[in-house]
Amino acid sequence: MSEKDKKEKGGSDSWSAEQWHEVKKGDTLSKIAEHYYGDGSLYMKIFEANRNILKDPNLIKVGQKLRIP
Amino acid sequence: MRKIVLLSVVMIVAVGLILTGCSKVKGQADAALKAAEKAISEVKPEAEKIVPDQIKALEGTLNGAKEKFGKGDYKAALSDAQVIPGKVKDLVASMNAKKDELTKTWTDLDQGIPKMMDAIKSRVGILSQSKKLPANLTKEKFEEAKSGLDSALKDWETAKESFKGGMLGEAVAKGNTVKEKAVQVLEILGMPVPAAAKS
Repeated sequence: MSEKDKKEKGGSDSWSAEQWHEVKKGDTLSKIAEHYYGDGSLYMKIFEANRNILKDPNLIKVGQKLRIP
Repeated sequence: MRKIVLLSVVMIVAVGLILTGCSKVKGQADAALKAAEKAISEVKPEAEKIVPDQIKALEGTLNGAKEKFGKGDYKAALSDAQVIPGKVKDLVASMNAKKDELTKTWTDLDQGIPKMMDAIKSRVGILSQSKKLPANLTKEKFEEAKSGLDSALKDWETAKESFKGGMLGEAVAKGNTVKEKAVQVLEILGMPVPAAAKS
């Protein structure tokens, strides 16, 4: 399985400690950063970790699986 | 008079035969002890690292045989020493099996632990920049996670040194300790624990 496949499936590597977040209605990167980091201003960390699927930090889609670094 | 002479001759011959037999057994016991000692010394350096208890037990058997030899019990010394080379063969087979098992475990840890560490380092780095910690993490717990990470990183370096030095058993034991520490840190940080680290 390729790294891309693993990421799309939310990480199937048995040693992977990566955290994934499935985008829900009303989510923004800032809200997600607030939840995981306590600080919404760190949203760019999530954006940078998901550049392979995100083009714009303001555009996320419901159902997308984002890696939380 | 003739009877006395005859009896004396018979006794001399008997004593001679006994002494010859004794000397023969002594020589056999001596050779068997040397062979046993050689067999043990050939595997000892590696066995001490992988199956220390087994090599210690064999050395105990050898020392026991030497003690019997020293006390003049050559027959018992021969009997004890003769079984040692066979036991060394068993030990080598057991050592190779253990070595394979430890190598497999180490390979698994060596591939997995850096992944856990990277994920933790990344999260700790980000949380260190955060103006406020997430709801499920207190400042004290975060400090505990950071010191746990430092400790695990140091332990991982010593585990790798043990592996490089051929101390497979020690490397795996230390690697498992690192794994446990990393799991604790992941739990503190509210991160998922990898399936492979749960076993």
